[in-house]
Amino acid sequence: MIELQPNALCFGDEFPASGAPCLVHVEGQGLTITFLSDREGVVGHTESVGFSDLTISAGGLDHNQLVASWSGSVEQRTLYLKSPELIRAFRQAAPAHLNRPLEQAAEQVRQVRQRHRFVWGLVGGTVFAVILGLWFGSDVLVELAVNRIPIEWEQKLGESAYREFLAGQDVMKEGIAVDAVKEMTQRLASQVPNNPYRFDVTVVRSDVVNAFALPGGYVVVFTGLMKKAESPEEVAGVLAHELNHVLRRHGLERIIKQLGFVAVVSIVLGNPPGLGGAMKQFGIELMTLKFGRAQETEADTTGLDLLYRAKIHPEGMITFFQRLTEKDEGRVEWLSTHPMSSARADHLKARLAEMPKQQSEPFSFEWTKVRDALGVSSGSAP
Amino acid sequence: MKSEILYPGAFPMARVELGNGEQIKAESGAMVACSPTIDIESKMEGGFLGALSRKFLTGEKFFFQTLKASRGAGEVLLAPTVPGEIVVLELDGVNEYMVQKDGFLAGADGITIDSQMQSMSRGLLGGEGFFILKMSGKGMLLLNSFGAVHKIELKPGQEYIVDNSHLVAWSTTTSYNIEKATSGWVASFTSGEGFVCRFRGPGVVYIQSRNPGGFGAWVRQFIPVTE
Ligand SMILES: [Zn+2]
Repeated sequence: MIELQPNALCFGDEFPASGAPCLVHVEGQGLTITFLSDREGVVGHTESVGFSDLTISAGGLDHNQLVASWSGSVEQRTLYLKSPELIRAFRQAAPAHLNRPLEQAAEQVRQVRQRHRFVWGLVGGTVFAVILGLWFGSDVLVELAVNRIPIEWEQKLGESAYREFLAGQDVMKEGIAVDAVKEMTQRLASQVPNNPYRFDVTVVRSDVVNAFALPGGYVVVFTGLMKKAESPEEVAGVLAHELNHVLRRHGLERIIKQLGFVAVVSIVLGNPPGLGGAMKQFGIELMTLKFGRAQETEADTTGLDLLYRAKIHPEGMITFFQRLTEKDEGRVEWLSTHPMSSARADHLKARLAEMPKQQSEPFSFEWTKVRDALGVSSGSAP
Repeated sequence: MKSEILYPGAFPMARVELGNGEQIKAESGAMVACSPTIDIESKMEGGFLGALSRKFLTGEKFFFQTLKASRGAGEVLLAPTVPGEIVVLELDGVNEYMVQKDGFLAGADGITIDSQMQSMSRGLLGGEGFFILKMSGKGMLLLNSFGAVHKIELKPGQEYIVDNSHLVAWSTTTSYNIEKATSGWVASFTSGEGFVCRFRGPGVVYIQSRNPGGFGAWVRQFIPVTE
C-alpha cells in the first residue's frame, strides 16, 4: 500500500461523473496516470499516453485548468490538470506541436486573471468613490485641507489675482469715495478678534454692480455698487458680508472643492504649492468664484454680527440686499457670485430682530458728498 | 470523523462523530445538539476581512462555528434551517465545488472555504450576488438544499440548462454561461426576470427541487396586506 496524493481528475465513461482522482506524472514521451482504487489511498491501475496523442485546451469554471484529452485504448479520456507545478512540468516536457495550443490556453488563463483584476478594481474603485462622496458631502476632507493652508500662502494666491485684476481696471486712487470705503473697512476690521488678515481695499471705477474679496483679504469695490447704495450702511453691509467670506476662508473651500480630490490630498499630505498652477489649468477664476448657499448664510450671519459690533446700523445690509434683487435694478453682478434668496433675507431679518437695540455711530463722511463725487445726480438721493 | 444522515427526506439531521481533538466547521445556527465534550468557537474563516467580505458581499453569516471535541470524543447533531435534503460529498484534494451561499451546512476541518467572486456578468445577472463559496481541500462536506437534491452528471462537452435559483453546488471542472430565461422558466407569481445557467461538462451539478424565492413569493400571496 502506497499513500497517494491525487493531483488531477480524469473523466471517462467508466469513471464517476465528478471525475476519478488520479496521480499524473510528466515523463519524457508523455503522461503516466495512476488511478486510485476505490479504497482510499490504495494504488489502482496505471495508464500511459504519448504527447503525440493529446489534444489540449483550457477548461473549467474559470478556464484556468489545463484539459488534455485523447482516445484511450477503450474509450475517450479527458484529464483536468489544475496544479501549477504539474502544468509547468507539462509545458516544459511537451513537444513542439503542443506549443501553440499551450500558448492559447495560457492566454485564456491570463485573460481570466485580467478580468478578475479588472472586476476587483471596479469594485474597489466604487467603494472608494462612495467613501469619497460621503466625505465630500460632509465637507470633512475639504475643511481638513483648508485648515492646512497657511495664511501667507493664501495671501500670495489672493494678491497675485488681485494685482492681475487691477492692472486692467480704472482704479480710483484717492478721493472722498476711497476714503469712505477705507473708513468702513477699518471700522469693521477693528472688530474682528485676532484678525490674521490685513484687509486691502481698492475702489474701481466701473458701472458694474459688484464687490468682491479675494482669499487673503484683498477687497475690490466697484463704483457701480456704491452708486446703488442710498446710505453708507448699505455699502458697509456688503463689505461686512465680503470680509466674512475671507475670514471663514470660503474662497479656499470653493477652490478645493472644484479642484477635487487630488488637490485635497496633496494639501493634506503637506504639499500646497502648485495649487495656483492647478487652478489656472482648471480655469478657476477667483473673481467669479460662486459661493454656496451655506457659505452665503454664514457670511450674512457673521457679517450682521460684525456690523453690530462696529456700531454700524445693520438694517442697511438687509435693505440693500432687497433692493439689489428687485427687478428694475438691472443687472447686478454681485448676485451672480453671491446667490440671493428670500430665505436669506428672512433669516437676516429674524436675526436682526433678536439683537438688542443699540445706538449706531455715524461715519465721519457725508454720503451725499460721496455720491456727488461718484457722479450720482443729487436729485435721486432720498 | 464519521457522518450519518438521520431521517433522510424533507426533515433530515446530520450526526457527525468526532474523535478526540477533531473539529468541524458548521454554518452558525446549524447545531441542534451535541455531547458535553464538544466546544463551540465562532471562528472567522479567512480572517477578519474574509469574514467581513462574506458578510457584506454574500449576505452570509459573519461567522462559521467551529465545533471541536476538545474534551474527548463526542457527536454533534446538525440541521439546516429550511426543509430539504442533506448531501455528503467527500473532497479528496483535487475535486473542488462551488456552493451557492445558502447551500453550506458543515465541512471537515480540512475543507477550505473561499468567498469566490463570480465574473461581473455572472454575478449581476445571476441573482446570487457577486460571491459564491468555493470549497476545496480534503474531507467531508455537508450541503443542504431546499427540497430534494438531484445530481446531474455531465460528460465532457455535455450541456444542461438549470434555473439559477435551483442551483446548490457544481464542480469546478464544469463551465457555465448565464442566460436570460425565456418565459416558460419563470412562474407566473414571481415578478422580475429569471435566469438560467447553461452548464457544460465534465462534472456534476447538484440542484434543489424547490426554489426558495419562488416559495417565498407563493407564500406571500396568502399574507393579507395591511394598509
Ligand atoms: Zn457672499
